[in-house]
Amino acid sequence: MSHQLPAILFLLPLFAAISMPVVCLKHHHWSRPISVVILAAMVPFSILNLYNVIRHGEVRYAFSGWSAPLGIEWVADGLASVILLLLSALGLLGVLFAGPTSPKALGGRIVHYYTLIMLLVSALTGIVFAGDLFNLFVFLEVAAISSYALVGIAGGRAIFAAFRYLILGTIGASLYLLGVSYLYAVTGTLNMADIAGKLPMLLDSKALIGGLLFIFIGLGIKMALVPFHAWLPEAYTYAPEPISAILAPLITKVVLLAWVRIIYWVLNATIVIYDIPILLLVAALGALASVIGASLALAQRDIKMMFAYGGIAHIGIILIGFGQGNPTGFAGGVFYLLNDAVMQASLFYIAGIAFCQYGVKTIDELGRIGKQVPWLTGSLIVVGLGMIGLPPTGGFFGKWYIILGALEADDYVSVAAVILSTLLTLAYFVKLFECMFRQSSTRSDDQFEEIPFSLKLTMGVTSAAVVILGIFSAPIVQLLLNQALPPGL
Amino acid sequence: MIRSHDSIIVQTLGRFLIPVVQMFGLYVLFFGQYGPGGGFVGGVILGAGMILSILIFGYDASRSRFAQKVLHGDGVGMLIYAGVGGLCMIGGGEFLNYANLEIPGLEIASRRSLGIVLTQIGVAVDVMVTAISIVFSLSAEEIIEDSIDG
Repeated sequence: MSHQLPAILFLLPLFAAISMPVVCLKHHHWSRPISVVILAAMVPFSILNLYNVIRHGEVRYAFSGWSAPLGIEWVADGLASVILLLLSALGLLGVLFAGPTSPKALGGRIVHYYTLIMLLVSALTGIVFAGDLFNLFVFLEVAAISSYALVGIAGGRAIFAAFRYLILGTIGASLYLLGVSYLYAVTGTLNMADIAGKLPMLLDSKALIGGLLFIFIGLGIKMALVPFHAWLPEAYTYAPEPISAILAPLITKVVLLAWVRIIYWVLNATIVIYDIPILLLVAALGALASVIGASLALAQRDIKMMFAYGGIAHIGIILIGFGQGNPTGFAGGVFYLLNDAVMQASLFYIAGIAFCQYGVKTIDELGRIGKQVPWLTGSLIVVGLGMIGLPPTGGFFGKWYIILGALEADDYVSVAAVILSTLLTLAYFVKLFECMFRQSSTRSDDQFEEIPFSLKLTMGVTSAAVVILGIFSAPIVQLLLNQALPPGL
Repeated sequence: MIRSHDSIIVQTLGRFLIPVVQMFGLYVLFFGQYGPGGGFVGGVILGAGMILSILIFGYDASRSRFAQKVLHGDGVGMLIYAGVGGLCMIGGGEFLNYANLEIPGLEIASRRSLGIVLTQIGVAVDVMVTAISIVFSLSAEEIIEDSIDG
């Protein structure tokens, strides 16, 4: 049973997605319980899978019994299993969050919504596990197509954002596919481990360099790395609340994971191509993204837009961690990725509740809910501390390990970028809190309806997780150092 | 909404042609094990036959009833495919490792053969439904909305 887990984890949501339109044809209201049950089943399975990987080492699952270079392979190593646990937990919370907000926000398309969410989750599982470059492309596209449809599901202004996302995402996917075909032409194989074995002899090949460049730009567009981030803020801002709350924490992080897998597992990370160490490039791009993203966030007045730019900045910080090429930086990057996903989820839940329950869309309106809604304000403060990176939260420890890694590598530019980005984050949260508390409501008799329980639950769990990840940062980072490091680091 | 074609030549030809197209689709589907063909191509041909019937006799005609029903079965093909794969997993092998299809009285070679045919049928059903639904969504939006929203 335990060796089947990687396949089961992928097939559960896929099965649910394809049977949903048939099962829920007559009974629309079944779609929500089905999705909740499937995602709730994924959480213990992914914990079991993580335990199994820690105990017995990585699992390589050959589909239909054809072994690696010929067949399709699933690689469940430490990194993939940790990310998968995060993915299933946040997927479950996202679906729970979607319940009370959805009918209004989704324009009645409930079955569409849950079908696409299940498809998205299974595709993201595929990206996490995929052991070859072409299947990575397939799952990138499945995830992307379901997210285009999800962004535009309710119509209105989101359709424009979804169309822009579609155009840019398709360009990214095409570039990635082009790059993969170059690598295939050079090495004659698509399996990651197989390519990794053949690359050292081919470092002078121009096709290899062209292919890698295409792959990096393609994935850069997909994960909203700074020069290519144009699609993200609008898509997440205008998407309905239950959708941005699932897309924001998952899509960019999982694509980033795919990028890391290619850099560290396929290429040996320390390689130097034409006198340029590629990791230097990663760290430089990360530094750029972390500063520019945070500065752009400072300029926003729309809450979701601000959080979306914050997410772009955090992608940069994670990349700085991965770009250092030492175990501390790498583990810090993975740990910050976990934290960032939880914080993004929490922020978008908060923004969603503020809009759906109280009609608050911009920070100028935040004063209306300042002191009257303690749940919301409390969570926002906790997550804000995490985003800034103050000690009890996971955000602090993530940045701490990343800075330690950068110091170890003598990369002072990256250290400066992380600190600058932290200061800018502090600035936009101060701006947010200032609007929230200073302009207290003039109408103190405003009647506020109580927040539904499942919204409180999701918001509470994610805010608590921000702190819990900080408290247990030492064992988690130790686990990552023991289990999730790439070969040769 | 697609209406029936009013030319008698087209109608008569269609009456002869459609069964032939369907038979050819099934032939390609099952021949795929031993030669060129298979689920994808077979599914496209089966779908093309139904599209032809809709174009000639109209969406509402009794001859197109099967196509209307099929449209609701989006995902059934994938269920067949995933079901066969799941049976292999229950039998103890990997997903889609047909040697582990637990059917008494069949050798491993025949199990593989049977497994391939079943998954190809699944693929064919899905391709057929997709082809038909593309035609519908290009011709009339409201049909698609009805078919999914119930």
